[in-house]
Amino acid sequence: MPADTVSIMGIFSSEQRAALAIDGLRETPWIIEQVYSPIPSHAIEHALEPPKSRVGWFTLAGGIIGFFTGFFLAAFTSLRWSLIVGGKPVVALVPFFIVGFEFTILFAVLGNVLGLISQARLPRFETPAHYDERFSGDRFGVLACCSEDEQDELTRFFETNGAEIKTNDV
Amino acid sequence: MSSAWETWHERALRMNRRTFLKIASMGSVAVAAGCSAKPEDNLFTMVRATEDMVTGKEAWYASTCRECPAGCGVLAKNREGRIIKLEGNHLHPVNLGTLCIRGQAALQGLYNPDRLWMPRLKTEDGWQEIPFEKAEALIRGKARAAANRGTGRISMVTEVVGQTQLDLFAAVLQAFNGESPIVFEPLAHEALKFAHQQIFGSPALPVLQMDRADVLVGFGADFLETWLSPVEYARKFKAMHMLSNGSKGVFVQVSPFQSLTGANADRWIGCRPGTEAAVIMGLIRTVTGDENGRNVNRNLRDALAVVTETYTPEAVARMSGVSVEDQTIVGRQLLAAKQPLVLGTGAGSAGSHAVAAELAALFLNLALNPELSLFDFNNRHRVEIADRRSTVLDAFDAMDKKSVELVLLNNVNPVFSIPGGSRIAKTLSHKKRFVVAFSNFMDETAATADLIVPVQMALETWDAYESNTAALATLQPTMGKITQAPALGDLLLNLLPPDQRPAADYQSMVTRTVLTGQDSQTATTWLKTIQKGGRFGDDRATSGSPKANLRAAATLKTYLATLPEPSDEYVLMAPPSIRFFDGRGANRPWLIETPDTLTQIPWQTTALINTDSMAADGMKDGDVVTLKTQSGEIQAPVKAYAGVFPGTVVVSAGQGHSVFGRWGSGQGVNPLAILDPSVDADAGAPSFATPLASLEKSGRSVALATTSGHRLALGRKIAPTVAIDQIGHQDSHDKPGLTMDSFPLTPPLPEGYDPKRDLYPPHDHDGYRWAMIVDMDRCIGCTACVGACYAENNIGIVGEKRILEGREMAWLQIQCYQNPADMARLTFLPMMCQHCDNAPCEAVCPVYAPHHSKEGLNNQIYNRCIGTRFCGQNCPYKVRRFNWFDWERPEPLPMQLNPNVTVRSKGVMEKCSFCIQRIKDAHNVAKNENRAIRDGEVVPACAQTCPTGALTFGSLMDKTSRVSQLIKDPRAYQVLGYVNTKPAVIYLKKVTQTV
Amino acid sequence: MEQTLTYKSIDNTVLDTLTPPQRSYWVLVALLFAGILLGAGCWTYQILVGIGVGGQNNPVFWGTYLINFVFWVGIAHSGTLISAILHLFRAGWRNPIARAAETMTVFAVCTAGLFPFIHLGRVWMVYYMLPVPNQRTLWPNFQSPLMFDVVAISTYLTVSSLFWYTGMLPDLATIRDRSHGLRHKIFKVISLGWTGEWEIWRHYTRGYLFFAALATPLVISVHSVVSWDFALSVIPGWHTTIFAPYFVAGAIHSGLAMVLTLMIPLRIIFKYEAIITTHVLESVAKTIVFTGLIVGFAYATEIFIAWYSHNPVEVESFRWRAFGDYALEYWIMVTCNTIVPLLLLFKKVRTNIRILFVISLLVNVGMWYERFVIIVGSVAHDFLPHAWGLYAPSLVEFGIMIGAFCLFFFLFVLFVKHMPSVSMTEMKETLQEGESHAG
Repeated sequence: MPADTVSIMGIFSSEQRAALAIDGLRETPWIIEQVYSPIPSHAIEHALEPPKSRVGWFTLAGGIIGFFTGFFLAAFTSLRWSLIVGGKPVVALVPFFIVGFEFTILFAVLGNVLGLISQARLPRFETPAHYDERFSGDRFGVLACCSEDEQDELTRFFETNGAEIKTNDV
Repeated sequence: MSSAWETWHERALRMNRRTFLKIASMGSVAVAAGCSAKPEDNLFTMVRATEDMVTGKEAWYASTCRECPAGCGVLAKNREGRIIKLEGNHLHPVNLGTLCIRGQAALQGLYNPDRLWMPRLKTEDGWQEIPFEKAEALIRGKARAAANRGTGRISMVTEVVGQTQLDLFAAVLQAFNGESPIVFEPLAHEALKFAHQQIFGSPALPVLQMDRADVLVGFGADFLETWLSPVEYARKFKAMHMLSNGSKGVFVQVSPFQSLTGANADRWIGCRPGTEAAVIMGLIRTVTGDENGRNVNRNLRDALAVVTETYTPEAVARMSGVSVEDQTIVGRQLLAAKQPLVLGTGAGSAGSHAVAAELAALFLNLALNPELSLFDFNNRHRVEIADRRSTVLDAFDAMDKKSVELVLLNNVNPVFSIPGGSRIAKTLSHKKRFVVAFSNFMDETAATADLIVPVQMALETWDAYESNTAALATLQPTMGKITQAPALGDLLLNLLPPDQRPAADYQSMVTRTVLTGQDSQTATTWLKTIQKGGRFGDDRATSGSPKANLRAAATLKTYLATLPEPSDEYVLMAPPSIRFFDGRGANRPWLIETPDTLTQIPWQTTALINTDSMAADGMKDGDVVTLKTQSGEIQAPVKAYAGVFPGTVVVSAGQGHSVFGRWGSGQGVNPLAILDPSVDADAGAPSFATPLASLEKSGRSVALATTSGHRLALGRKIAPTVAIDQIGHQDSHDKPGLTMDSFPLTPPLPEGYDPKRDLYPPHDHDGYRWAMIVDMDRCIGCTACVGACYAENNIGIVGEKRILEGREMAWLQIQCYQNPADMARLTFLPMMCQHCDNAPCEAVCPVYAPHHSKEGLNNQIYNRCIGTRFCGQNCPYKVRRFNWFDWERPEPLPMQLNPNVTVRSKGVMEKCSFCIQRIKDAHNVAKNENRAIRDGEVVPACAQTCPTGALTFGSLMDKTSRVSQLIKDPRAYQVLGYVNTKPAVIYLKKVTQTV
Repeated sequence: MEQTLTYKSIDNTVLDTLTPPQRSYWVLVALLFAGILLGAGCWTYQILVGIGVGGQNNPVFWGTYLINFVFWVGIAHSGTLISAILHLFRAGWRNPIARAAETMTVFAVCTAGLFPFIHLGRVWMVYYMLPVPNQRTLWPNFQSPLMFDVVAISTYLTVSSLFWYTGMLPDLATIRDRSHGLRHKIFKVISLGWTGEWEIWRHYTRGYLFFAALATPLVISVHSVVSWDFALSVIPGWHTTIFAPYFVAGAIHSGLAMVLTLMIPLRIIFKYEAIITTHVLESVAKTIVFTGLIVGFAYATEIFIAWYSHNPVEVESFRWRAFGDYALEYWIMVTCNTIVPLLLLFKKVRTNIRILFVISLLVNVGMWYERFVIIVGSVAHDFLPHAWGLYAPSLVEFGIMIGAFCLFFFLFVLFVKHMPSVSMTEMKETLQEGESHAG
């Protein structure tokens, strides 16, 4: 990125305004660096049209692994001594399916968590400098960057959309 | 020895192999060493084991059970020097290899924690332990002093003993100017002996050939419990009463209290206490009456005519409460019989009434069977040597008159077992009198003595005992000494100056007895006899039955005059019990813990009252009543029981000791204490029934420690019976289905599976599929099997409190189901683990603790069990037992523990294992001989001891085995078979016949 | 009366609950802790002396330990139900109570999980139930319903805790940003540096959706598995196919009742009236009526089938339940679980907080007795009349039961004072939805 760009954070008091601003920004060459929100807002989602998350693949993988782990654990252990209980076959499908099912859920959830933290890059130990504590409360933030000469233009754009401006040059 | 061994081996070949195994390993007189009553601080390896002791292998010693006068032969199983189990001696004619529960519990006398280890001398400051030498010296001194002061200053009261010992007693007493010993037996059958004396001239107790009878009519003789020789008669009874080619003998009992014996009758008829004789007279009248097809000896008929004339059916009905119809039923049975046998009253009837009944019964037998072919007058029960009660009482009374200074008591407890025992206690505790009790326990009588000297018990000593005239049984030490106690014989011999002793030691006297009359007098003969356990069936005098003296009819008449008139006052009956006998068993945990079969109540003593009269009096089970007689009062909780004649209160004797060890003392109540102490003048028969002065509700009520939740089967296929004419075609009416009744027999074999019923295919077994057949028609509910099971499997004793909480541990229960149509009709159901092929307990265990073995057993791995108790919860038969605590086994009881069976700790589940340790032994033997296990080679403890052979064990995969044969019996069924667990315990329905 | 909520007011209401507590709070905590000690003491005594100090016997091998186990597992269910199933159904009224319900779930599972241990005869051997490799290759028996339990309950505990924690992340960030000093530091860590930037929300919403999607079948399976502890046996009164749905419905029934029992005091103490509106409570009440009817239907079905089977054992078993030694317990069960909830059909009753609270308590009692009737009432009186017996809990069992209740409330009380007991984020979502509806 050329050295002469500045990031300007527009802080909005309602998601609607933030969404409008985002829509507006996307018609301009300015780049939306980041959007902060206290809630998973649908309006903003519509405005941003982000790509679909890939967490689900982790979940699916976990589930499949889980089922086979469970089922084969049960089958393997019962075959070690091949003891007959209650006149049932040593490898009894019905009960072992239940074990498989529970393992499916367990591993799927673990996969899900793994997916979540790996995709969302959690945990994070540093909050970015331009982060505003109100973002976890009632404010929405849109961080856009532009070249120095367009700075006032962008600022004006934010203000017209009813944002308060927060700049911090890095 | 070698020659002996050959003859020995020939005999062995003629015996079945199990017997051979035992006998062969019996033998050497050398007893294993190294046992001590106190737990050792150090362990010492046995550098040189005695010749017949192989570690891990048992040695069997033949001896004789002395728990009651019957004298059954036993084989003591000795492991590493201690006896761990008693089994019947197959060669002994009285019990032929079986034992009753009292016999099983003999070990708990031997190892009883309350046993006395040292002599005790009474001093001002309580009991003081003294060495045996000192005790002996003390007795010798007292004896000499008494002898010098004059004749008759020494007297002795002993239990029934062998002739050898009795002679020795007599000799010793004579040497000290004493009189001959008094033989005291609480159940001495005075009335029966008197009847024999009157009619046949001698007070004999001949052995009855009950097995040859076809119709048996009893008037209270409890021959399955305590009467004469219970094990022997249990076997003989079932021999005549079991189903053989479509028919079985008939047994009718007429008595005030049904008792276990009456519960096994085809019909029990209640009668007013004391009026048995009247009923019998009525029957005599019927039998001796004209044109009824029986040719009665004319003289007899005339002799009896005068006596019987007044006993019309109506009169009898009025007196005894036995309806005319019932009388005719019994009469018809007797008239139709080929080999009828009539038994008189048992213990539990009043003196003179009993005499009348016994006299009448004998006459009835004469009338039915003039040559008395079922009476073996040449073979008589040993108990006949017991002195009549009157003699015993006189002896005690005489002690004051003749100022007896020294009294020797040999293992008797008259203070407890004689009504008015307090008087005897007073006599014994008289200042001037020195009383020596040769007893291993502190009981009521020993407590009154001045010196208590423990002597060797039957299983520790040399002796000979004439079980009956035809069987001289021998006793030998079956284990190393656990006490320093001498044999009574030796102790007495030592009292005499060496020159006057009939023998150097008592063992040589026994040897003499054993060898007398034998062709060869060698040590070999002696050894062989000892190994066999006695001399049986020697040829003996065979004189016919003695001539009947008809003048006895007059005696009968006088006695009949004493019969009670109908009245509605309560009568207290105190019959002896199968578990405690006269009370000597009351400190043996196995006996107390095993429920009485009829009430299903262990530990407690209950007062049984007829169900209806109890309802009428507004009493319910557990209400405590006060029973008053002239002699005193007792309190006991009542229990409704259909098998009691209205107006009778039955409190079985044996419990309620004031002093008798930790388990006996203060447990239950003692009805003997309040019985009328008077005895019949001529017969000297005591009274076991006394009219009650009053019966009052105390207002208190206690919980009955019953092990039975409900007494009816409620139409469930649990203990069904089949009428004798219905056998074979009762299941044919509907084709096999899935309902409780239509569900077919599903043996735990591939053929027991059917896709229509089973989701899963059958599973195969490896060589054997162990199973048990329980013939409920043979089970008499004597609970011998339960005792054997406790002994074999180290089962814990939980006590009254835990029983009340429902924590009993018995692996094998004799359940008792009543017939809703007639509550007095009972069916006994031996219930143990069913070793199901599809066991519900197995699948639910999270750790495989219960699982199916390759031979079909339902294994329980104690070490693996974590105590989820899911298996017990899911068992339809509720036969699994959980160790709620660590059960107590005070020293030296642990010496009895079977080393082949784990002792379970708290928190694990346990249950019947089909005696897997015995199966394993059989496997080892078979493997060494490189063959398969033979049918009948494995015998679980319960089946081994069953006097009637109700239990059969074997492999169903061997198509020729007895179990495979029996399973084809049309009576075969599985308890709750419709649950489709395919139990390996298959029951044969009890056969009922309408009489 | 309802003032309109704003993001700020939501934050403030919730954050106000995190102010330093007064002495009365600590007294309560201390009392509950004492109760826990009592329970622990009883358990120690039982381990030393033997399981016999309880009231169990032959035939009733299972007593209050398993009754409480099933009871608490049941309680644990509505939490996930509310947060997962209702989340999928987009039922708005769930948001105010979701957090508390999930918390309840987690702590209830912990409590429930204790009881199988307490129940064991040899708890020191409990690791035999875990598939731990060992040189003798001894493994647990996965055919046993108890092993299903081990797997299902541990899965459920893991999943519900993760679900709970994930849901809390945004709120933890909120607290972090409103706090200073130690609390700030702590929440900085446990909020995993949450910033609410869109990149995170994108994955978070997706992940949360899958959480809900997985928790739903899990919650159903877990209580089905619990029901199979009984249904897979042969015992009359247990061996029936309706058990799985019957137990699940029962579980939700008791769980919802427990939610009310917890939320109503919380609402008063923490002044949540604006957030937890009567509408919310009403919706819960309506659901209780529904589950109550299902449970009632199950009771009826059992009896009908028993009669229809013509099997003497089944018939007697259910006759005895209704009219035998445990008739009182049976009718308490029927009344509290089926009849009393019907009162909630009346709006007057539903909207009266006091009555609502009382009813919720009654349902809890009723559900405890349902487990008593099922567990004890069946085996005490099964196949073999000779083996019939009765059971009554011993003092030790009561001690342990008290301990368990104390443990649960102890954890819950600690939580509500130190963590956001209402999900601020989800509340804000509701507002935003409301707004969008308006606009």
